[in-house]
Amino acid sequence: MLTPDLIRLLLPALMGLPIVAALVLRFTSGTRSRGLALAFAIVHLALTALVVVSGLELIQDDPNLSLGIKRQEKKLERVFAPQFVPGDPMPDGRASYSTTNDILPIYGPNPSNPHERVKIAAAQFFIGLDGLNVWLVALGSFLMFPVVLISWDTVHEREGSYYAWLFLLQAGLLGVFLSFDILLFYVCFELTLVPLLFLIGGWGPGPNRREAARKLFLFTLAGGLITLLGVAGTVLYVYERTQIGGGHGELTFSIPRLADLVQTGMLQKSEASHGLWRDAQTYLFLALAVGFAVKIPLVPLHSWLPGAYSEAPIGVTVMLSALLAKMGTFGLLRICMPLCPDATLAVGMPLIGVLAVIAIIYGALCAYAQTDIRRLVAYSSVSHLGFCVLALMAFSPASIAGGLLHMVNHGLSTGAMFLLVGMLVRRYGTAQIADYSGMWSRLPVLTFFMMVACLASIGLPGLNNFVSEMLMLGGVLDARNVRIAVVPFTVLAALGIFLSAWYTLTMVRRVFFGPIKEPPTAQPVTDLTGRERLTIVPVVVLCLVLGLFVQPVLDVMYRDVGRLAQIGDEARARATK
Amino acid sequence: MTVDQTLQQVFRLAIPEAALVGTACVLFILSTLRMSNRTLAGGIAIVGLALAFGLYDLATNFDQGIRTVAPLLATGFSTFIRFTALATGVVLVMFCWNECDDRHAADFHACLLTAIAGFSLVGSANDLIVLFLALELISIPTYVMLYLPRPNDVRAQEAAVKYFLLSVLSSAFTLFGFSYLYGLTGTTNLAALTELLPRVVPGEGGISGLIAIVFVLAGLGFRVTAFPFHFYAPDVYQGGPTGTVAFLAFVPKVAGFAALIKLLAFVGDANPVANDFVKKVMLVLWVLAVITMTAGNVLGLLQANIRRMLAYSSVANAGYMLIGLAVLPAQAYRSGTDPAAATGGDALLFYLIAYGAMTVGAFAVLAYLDSPTKRVETVDDVAGLWSTHPWAAALMTLFLISLIGLPLTAGFVGKLELFISALAAPSEGPMQEEFRWLALIGAINAAVAAYYYVRVIMAIYLRTSLSAPTPTMRAHPAMLAAGVCALVTVVFGVYPKPLLDASWRAFDALRTAGP
Repeated sequence: MLTPDLIRLLLPALMGLPIVAALVLRFTSGTRSRGLALAFAIVHLALTALVVVSGLELIQDDPNLSLGIKRQEKKLERVFAPQFVPGDPMPDGRASYSTTNDILPIYGPNPSNPHERVKIAAAQFFIGLDGLNVWLVALGSFLMFPVVLISWDTVHEREGSYYAWLFLLQAGLLGVFLSFDILLFYVCFELTLVPLLFLIGGWGPGPNRREAARKLFLFTLAGGLITLLGVAGTVLYVYERTQIGGGHGELTFSIPRLADLVQTGMLQKSEASHGLWRDAQTYLFLALAVGFAVKIPLVPLHSWLPGAYSEAPIGVTVMLSALLAKMGTFGLLRICMPLCPDATLAVGMPLIGVLAVIAIIYGALCAYAQTDIRRLVAYSSVSHLGFCVLALMAFSPASIAGGLLHMVNHGLSTGAMFLLVGMLVRRYGTAQIADYSGMWSRLPVLTFFMMVACLASIGLPGLNNFVSEMLMLGGVLDARNVRIAVVPFTVLAALGIFLSAWYTLTMVRRVFFGPIKEPPTAQPVTDLTGRERLTIVPVVVLCLVLGLFVQPVLDVMYRDVGRLAQIGDEARARATK
Repeated sequence: MTVDQTLQQVFRLAIPEAALVGTACVLFILSTLRMSNRTLAGGIAIVGLALAFGLYDLATNFDQGIRTVAPLLATGFSTFIRFTALATGVVLVMFCWNECDDRHAADFHACLLTAIAGFSLVGSANDLIVLFLALELISIPTYVMLYLPRPNDVRAQEAAVKYFLLSVLSSAFTLFGFSYLYGLTGTTNLAALTELLPRVVPGEGGISGLIAIVFVLAGLGFRVTAFPFHFYAPDVYQGGPTGTVAFLAFVPKVAGFAALIKLLAFVGDANPVANDFVKKVMLVLWVLAVITMTAGNVLGLLQANIRRMLAYSSVANAGYMLIGLAVLPAQAYRSGTDPAAATGGDALLFYLIAYGAMTVGAFAVLAYLDSPTKRVETVDDVAGLWSTHPWAAALMTLFLISLIGLPLTAGFVGKLELFISALAAPSEGPMQEEFRWLALIGAINAAVAAYYYVRVIMAIYLRTSLSAPTPTMRAHPAMLAAGVCALVTVVFGVYPKPLLDASWRAFDALRTAGP
């Protein structure tokens, strides 16, 4: 097992290795690229596994943090406690949960000599692991393995560039999950767009791929720019507010520091200024949430999704649904909720919550109406992520834990479904439900795995989604949120689960059962090959494992989820005062 | 130091510019000789620029005498502009190395050097008349530069005539505005104006002051391609020689903004006595910023011609830069000891450099791809460029990504600084709320603009080639210029600190220039 110092050294490599991989792969071609890409994916997975497994203990129980039981003590505890931060100054040999790696310093005049410039803040290369991101980082590394394998025989031209972009995409993605600097977060968030543009536009199988890629790019960029304003606005507002009443304001881009300042510095100010702060929070929350809502996507902003999901090469579709959509929900969790807690309760639940409920129902109905399997899975993804957003907005311990767990679970189950659909399409060249029937007798192994993935996605007890959906339902039903009509929300969300069973099983019945009918193919179709089994088995096994032994996973997030929920409790107390 | 002494030593301050003009004279003489050719002319131009750079030390670091008398003033600001001018000069000489045939090359480079001298002089001008002369020193050679490289091309002639007529009109506007400033204060010295105007505008002079500012804005708005003074841009950009167009897209814009920063420096200082006046000026700038960026981007959406698209992109970028100019007066209201996260001025200067690198770079790639028989005009002409010219394609994409404002490019840092400066407008000042809207409008505009930039990127990478451009060996110096621009874009995108520092120091020197 690695020591904390060693993990601190290795953590940047989690982002750096994909970039190196991309640079190397760019200059390879043909079949060599895919072998090399697989090697890189495996090395990265091994590295991540090593880092995560050795880090779990410290994340779960950091002796530096006083896990105060009394409410009074806990209130003063820091909000985020990122572990293994590279560049941590380590005063007295203890983690300070900050870093010294500056990227973009902000200078201002020196108060004693106005013609001299001193550094007043800096955007930093501030990454770390905590209970919120550790499983998503693991997922981001793990899924690269099946994604490379599924691309093995679906991508046949310019393989070197394809895998290079794929790894750059992974680097940006891991950057979003790992970063604790708000600007670094944004930079990584935005930089995932360029690889996506080229991957979808360049390697998509369909004729509309360019249109789909452009739509995705423009939607996400527009949302992202509004989020950028929210980011800058939040930083500046905290700066302005902390300087009221004399003394210097604190300009900082560090998310843990901002969250602490919001909690301790600003909210304990006089009652009169609370109203002002609450108004500002509302605007900032909305600005920040736009970019994330596009990425998730929530319903009025989702129109890029069906095109992108069905036009992208299958490996990229898996990335999109299993990982990239999580950047949006993770953004809500990491930035919106701790930095604008009052607004999350005041407008988050009524507005974003309603949109999420609409997404659940609308996504489910759209999924049912689809004639294309890929689009069906895409819309089911909208529906499930709406659930996740609703849970986050409910802001209670169970719902946050459930939402976070659901990000991982949904990544696995939807990833598995897209992988299997990809394998089916590779054989027959069509994704139309009407073209298939009774595939069970032709492809029994594929059908078996598809059944498991679908049942996991529906939330069958014993499989992974069941746990997170139960947690989320329980959390949403939190009695303290009753003011804003939680019961209808819960009922509608539960209806969403029912609908998901309806459309998923309908699809399974039409495609895999009934009298056999298969699209014409050039050569006889065989069942899953060894490589395809290797692709799908780890994902499905993880679905099962997470369904049965989930407690250790939840234990790791316990501290951070609990602290975040406490922020929500304090905001609730303020609102009712 | 007496007035006489001050005036006597002023010429020392213009030594680098004198060196440039001297080199230009050598080139003009050279052009009459038969031995003149492109390589010789370009070489001499580079030597001239190096000479100006070497003589820089003579023009600084001495007691400058009375600020309110001296027509030229060496400050941190003038240093910033001078270095920008010389660096631009080197890039543009490389860019235009083969723009003309052997007969005209010496004349062309001579005009270019003269314009660069004018550009450099704008930074140190401390008098309305010198400022006007410096601006004209940029304009007049431009007419020749638009015409010389392709004297037989109808569209180049149209571009030259269009630019000439509108440029003269705008000069008249500028002069008219200057005359009001003189009428209000009785002086043409900028340092004196800055001191006097805040005392004049509160009373009867308020209306005249506003008229002066509106006319100066109209005149200089032409140079920075602000809406509605941009009408020449699309036609000139489309028809003019590529090198001259790159020059036009950058040099007059920087010079115009530098002049505006200098002229409007007094506005904020007037706030204790003429709050109303300051608000009106800020409102004018606010409105100008909004319509300029919106009009530029909306019209940019309609363009299929890359050069016209870049013209409208230049208009839109002027709109973003006007954000910095609009929040500038608000800084005077800032109270307390806390330093500002970003003031408008330094953000504007940073963005100007970033914009210059990406726009000149984009034109340089176009110049590289041009062939004598066929110019790269439409989006279709660059379709599938990645397969025929991968390096040109990569550079073009880099510049477009910077224009979109994606992270790790100078364009992103520049936009971020401008938005921060708008969001950080002091709460004590007027229009804080409106500046937040301005930032939002800017962000939405940036998203709209992405549409037409992405179209070009997608054409380059995702379409198949229709008819591949056929660059000639002559075009290689242009590629070198593009490489330099790419370096600037990436270096200041990843590590913006040096340029941020430099632009802050330049702006600070202007604001607080001591005697």
